[in-house]
Amino acid sequence: MTQLVVIDNKNHLKLKIDSNKAEQHGANLHLIPAVMSEFINIAVQYPLVITKNADTGQFVIAAMLGFEAGENLFWREEQWQGLYLPLQIRRQPFFVSNTDKNSDKGDYVICFDSNSPTISHDDGQGLFDDNGEESEYFQQAKSCLAQLLRGEVDNKRLLTHLEEMDLLQVMKMEITFANQQTTKLNGLYTIDQDKLANLSADRIANLHSEGLLQAIYTLITSLGQMHHLIDLKNKKCDC
Amino acid sequence: MSKLTKTVVVGGGIAGWLTAGCLAAKHHSHKAHGLKVVLIESANIPSVGVGEGTWPTMRNTLKALGISETDFIKECDASFKQGAKFAKWCTGKEDDFYYHPLVLPQGFGKTDLAAHWLAKQGQVSSFSNEVCYQEAICEQGLAPKTIRTPEFSDVANYAYHLDSAKFAIFLQKHCQEKLGITHIIDDVVAINSVDTEHDSDKGDISSVTTQNHGDISGELFVDCTGFSSLLLGKHFGIPFKSCSDTLFIDTALALQVPYDSDDSAIASHTISTGQEAGWIWDIGLQHRRGVGYVYSSQHSTEEEAKAVLADYVGDKFSSLAVRKIPIVSGHREKLWHKNCVAIGLSAGFLEPLEASALVMVELAAQMVSEQLPQSREVMDVVAKRFNETALYRWQKIIDFLKLHYILSERTEPFWADNRDAETIPQSLKELMKLWQYRAPADHDFTSNNEVFPAASYQYILYGMGFKSDYCHTPYIFDDKEFAESQFVQNKKLIDKAFSTLPTNRELLNKIKEFGFSRI
Repeated sequence: MTQLVVIDNKNHLKLKIDSNKAEQHGANLHLIPAVMSEFINIAVQYPLVITKNADTGQFVIAAMLGFEAGENLFWREEQWQGLYLPLQIRRQPFFVSNTDKNSDKGDYVICFDSNSPTISHDDGQGLFDDNGEESEYFQQAKSCLAQLLRGEVDNKRLLTHLEEMDLLQVMKMEITFANQQTTKLNGLYTIDQDKLANLSADRIANLHSEGLLQAIYTLITSLGQMHHLIDLKNKKCDC
Repeated sequence: MSKLTKTVVVGGGIAGWLTAGCLAAKHHSHKAHGLKVVLIESANIPSVGVGEGTWPTMRNTLKALGISETDFIKECDASFKQGAKFAKWCTGKEDDFYYHPLVLPQGFGKTDLAAHWLAKQGQVSSFSNEVCYQEAICEQGLAPKTIRTPEFSDVANYAYHLDSAKFAIFLQKHCQEKLGITHIIDDVVAINSVDTEHDSDKGDISSVTTQNHGDISGELFVDCTGFSSLLLGKHFGIPFKSCSDTLFIDTALALQVPYDSDDSAIASHTISTGQEAGWIWDIGLQHRRGVGYVYSSQHSTEEEAKAVLADYVGDKFSSLAVRKIPIVSGHREKLWHKNCVAIGLSAGFLEPLEASALVMVELAAQMVSEQLPQSREVMDVVAKRFNETALYRWQKIIDFLKLHYILSERTEPFWADNRDAETIPQSLKELMKLWQYRAPADHDFTSNNEVFPAASYQYILYGMGFKSDYCHTPYIFDDKEFAESQFVQNKKLIDKAFSTLPTNRELLNKIKEFGFSRI
């Protein structure tokens, strides 16, 4: 369980973070939320899919790493084997929280997860120097959080456009692995390429000027990585 | 012969707006070459607001009108309905209840699960609970879907409970803004006939005269004027056919009951509780319950009825306003006459058991818009077919409603009189004869205009304790293994539902916050 603690330079002056262990947070995740600014980095290795948040039913864009809950095919030999570590993992153990739990009217504060395996008192990097000034590492961590926050706004804008223009469709896929096991992918959505192809020049231009067109094509292209994922699954089943 | 270019709907309740909306959506009224639809609504006549319960058909009706389910649920105080729970209908004892769920029995059409259940009766739970997972969902107060399920799609089949006053306003707004219907607020003061030598359209309505907007002409007139039946009943004098000799209920006492708190559970089914001279409906909306006692005034005085209702509602009763509504069960002998068709209360009304009022409006509106005559010349043929179908449906509903009463073991005069053979329609008697030896099956209901499927008859029959005797057909039990697998499958579906479905209240709160997506 994640246990969030607000960071300050008195209580956490000596706290050390072993950032190499951040990737352990993704060991058992088959879907990891992704933000628009990292789509290209993700698409180099992982399919980007759209799914629905279980609590809210709202669309979420995620990197797909496995075919069932708990399966990350990029986690082997206690290590992340992918080239790119999604922001959502890299940010560990830091979170942004609002002092007012029921709205976003309070102040934003930086917290850390005290149950994270990255928490250390010996190895790793400190958040503050001896004078209580933020370390370079902590500043980088904060810019990572900022990128995620901006990304949430970008994603929302992208998804709103996709929904309003009716460009989303259910992704139906039945996969037979080399060992003849089959799986049906449920609850995934992607771009409707036919509808995209039939958009008027005006609407395409609008998506372009909104800075969304490239993201849309990256979502489509990334689906090619589904073959990569199947390949990983076949290799895993082999041994 | 003139082509049909303009339809005039008289009356602006739910029936009027649903009909106008179906016609306008189907016949492109928002475009210049589409059918013109005019709706005339009086500012002075309040709508009656029938039925707060719908059928699952309402999902397709709303979809066809281009309505968003999220908007509908938010604005009409709507909640989900997964069928009806009938309490105290059979013996009248505290533990007496059964369900008429909206999901078909497990393996329906592949095996006769009723036969297999009857063979095990006494060792297992009720028919509705053993063959259908929906009863368990309702008993737990769970919703029929999750926030991730797309709008109008389901995990378990569902209909709605809604605030009919809010629904009428919601429909009006949508129809005016999106569907290109011309809305005239005025009173109809006269109905004018065609002046012609032809026999074919002699006596047709040519126009209706309004107080302030002059004569409104059209080729087809839809009478949605409620109980007054201004066009079909008053103008054309089509007689009303009462069915009070079969269905005795003639009075309703209705009230709105607030919830104890904002997080009180909302039942996801209609609760219908048998009483000494009728039954009480209990419908959970988002912000209040709709409760009412429908009874036979031959079998109960108003004072007695009020006491029954007070007992059901409890302490709150004394502070709530009770509305008395007369119920005249029956329908017009003909629903489409010349160039006038009646839809809604102007066509007929039955007691609210099984929520037949709104579905009859939907079915009629759909049929008129699908089969809309292109010209006057073909209208009589369409009218004849419409009448045959509509009268068949009224009769079938009367039979099905009566079925609920004839198997009761309750001894009060109301219930005893209901079992009198003289009061049971011949068509129902014949079916009951067949069902002595087998369960209701699809081939008992062969019209493609059926209202209730065979499964519904099974739920009522076996819920009420009826026993079909399979002694002549022992081979029915040859597929016992398959039947057992279906009973097991039903239990699995119950477990799955319990682990995935939110409560009705939780889902409604989420819809208000996040809404459903279209896919």
